[in-house]
Amino acid sequence: MNDLLLDVMEVSKTFARGRLLSREKIVAVNKVSLQLAARRPEILAIIGESGSGKTTLARMILNMETPTSGRLLLEGTDLAAISGSAGRLAFMHKVQPIFQNPFESFNPLKRVERYLLMTRRRFAGTAGEGAAAAAVDAALHKVGLSLREVSGRHPHELSGGQLQRVAIARALLAEPKLIVADEPVSMIDASLRMSIVNLFRTLRDELGISIIYVTHDLATAYYISDRIMIMQKGSVVESGDARTVLRAPRHPYTHQLREAVLLPEVTNAIANVTPSLNGLSPGAPERRA
Amino acid sequence: MHASVEQPHGNQDVQPLLVVRDLQAYYRTSHAGVRRSIRAVDGVSFTVRRGEIYGLAGESSSGKTTLIKSIAGAIKPPLEIVGGSMEFAFLPGYGGLHRVPQAELERIRWRYLSYIMQGSMNVLNPVRRIGSSFVDFAYPHIGGSREQFEQQVVAHLARVKLDPSVLAAFPHELSGGMRQRAALALATICRPGFIIADEPTTALDVVVQKEVLGMIRGIQRETGSSVLFVTHDMGVHAHITDRLAIMYAGRLVEEAATAEIFRNPLHPYTRNLISSLPRIGEDAPRAGLGGAPPNLADPPSGCRFHPRCPLASEICSREVPVMREARSEHRVACFAVNGDDSA
Repeated sequence: MNDLLLDVMEVSKTFARGRLLSREKIVAVNKVSLQLAARRPEILAIIGESGSGKTTLARMILNMETPTSGRLLLEGTDLAAISGSAGRLAFMHKVQPIFQNPFESFNPLKRVERYLLMTRRRFAGTAGEGAAAAAVDAALHKVGLSLREVSGRHPHELSGGQLQRVAIARALLAEPKLIVADEPVSMIDASLRMSIVNLFRTLRDELGISIIYVTHDLATAYYISDRIMIMQKGSVVESGDARTVLRAPRHPYTHQLREAVLLPEVTNAIANVTPSLNGLSPGAPERRA
Repeated sequence: MHASVEQPHGNQDVQPLLVVRDLQAYYRTSHAGVRRSIRAVDGVSFTVRRGEIYGLAGESSSGKTTLIKSIAGAIKPPLEIVGGSMEFAFLPGYGGLHRVPQAELERIRWRYLSYIMQGSMNVLNPVRRIGSSFVDFAYPHIGGSREQFEQQVVAHLARVKLDPSVLAAFPHELSGGMRQRAALALATICRPGFIIADEPTTALDVVVQKEVLGMIRGIQRETGSSVLFVTHDMGVHAHITDRLAIMYAGRLVEEAATAEIFRNPLHPYTRNLISSLPRIGEDAPRAGLGGAPPNLADPPSGCRFHPRCPLASEICSREVPVMREARSEHRVACFAVNGDDSA
């Protein structure tokens, strides 16, 4: 009856901060709705700067954060109704996260291949050791690594880029329908970044995985996304087809973001102009809190 | 207008500000008698001229962090300077900050050499107000009366569009962009000849990043400082650096004026680095490089890029290509590149 993979309905998230008397409410996410179709895998980019609420929204989709109001349905199941370890495991089978800092996603004391084999066994049951190793190796190959390369190594022995690729391989082991990736390539080496970005496309096209790509990087979002959503201070200010929105932004904020993208070619925007500093007037500081 | 600050080295000597010669910096460890050395910087030579922003681009495990540590004199075991030298014009004869006595270091830090790092929290003491950090670091070098000093700080903060009220704030009370601007003001108030900028805008939002880059450039043009600007972000390099060196697996592979690198990259690694960058409005597929950056404990023989290189031939695995001038002011380390026909 339901042909939506994900249905986010008017979710809001409010955090309280400060002390008892000076308590203030911060609306991190303000009535955001979005839908992903079940039979048409796509890459949806959620774009915003720090404080835009994009990560909070992603965490609600991952059921790591409960919305203050609104509902999230995954294949018709309300995330708020998921309880018990079996329910959570079934949820994690469908939705997998990839975080920005892979060093925080891995136990520093555990060798990474133990972690991957454990994940595989958790999701695929008790197949033989050899089958699990083969599956782990296959997942690692999809991200440009191999089991041989990571065997016996602890997270700190890998570079941030390598470990992030391990994290993506780990997510693939669950054979999910949706991957929520929060700034997944911002720590990846430049020469490998496009391989990873292209990999997301392959996941969509060949494995039918939908991807929510949370980022501040407009250029990669333009490159891989089908749709984008621009968030500012918790609200969606513009959304639609990625190419249309980024080629001809309508909202002033989208326009501002677009203008701030540093083009990888020398425009000499700064290079030839020596700005006069004499005329600068001190601006009012944007004090936090 | 700002001539109240005496300029220590505003002259335009031909002599470069920093000369790095054949630097080798290895991590050496010994476990149960098994010795391992990771050759993170292996034979790097370059010069930073007066008044330029010299960019250094490289990915993780390219050795750029080790290179910066070496130049900054932050050498702690297992890191060792195995060979080569780093000569600053304002500290001749030592061959590197790690050989400079502590008292001498304190004399030159902030005055001749300063830093802008990714996390400005490293520079700004979290439990001291911003104003105290200025007093701690800059006052000993600038001297004079406290009132004069304060005026000077306030005037300098205006250059980075900060209100004097930030002096009373603690670092955590400021936004990331304001903190980074405060760190920039602190790093430049003594008009040092040399500034090491290590990913200074990487943690900032795009709109703020562009603004801070403009400020770094503006102040640098005014003070005539030389800046060694390290980032993996080619967009940032295109925006701010005068010359650019590309580092791969512990060695420089290419160096030229930034505009030249972007218009006419010669090394296959640089070419891929630039052509793989996505641009808004362009829909052509971009390809990353196959393989991965090598393990520096066991780097490939010959040219360290050869296992990933589309142009590799037999010589590349045998011999190490040296940096040579393929075009005027454009150095490259590659056997497959000829100087003339490579437009």
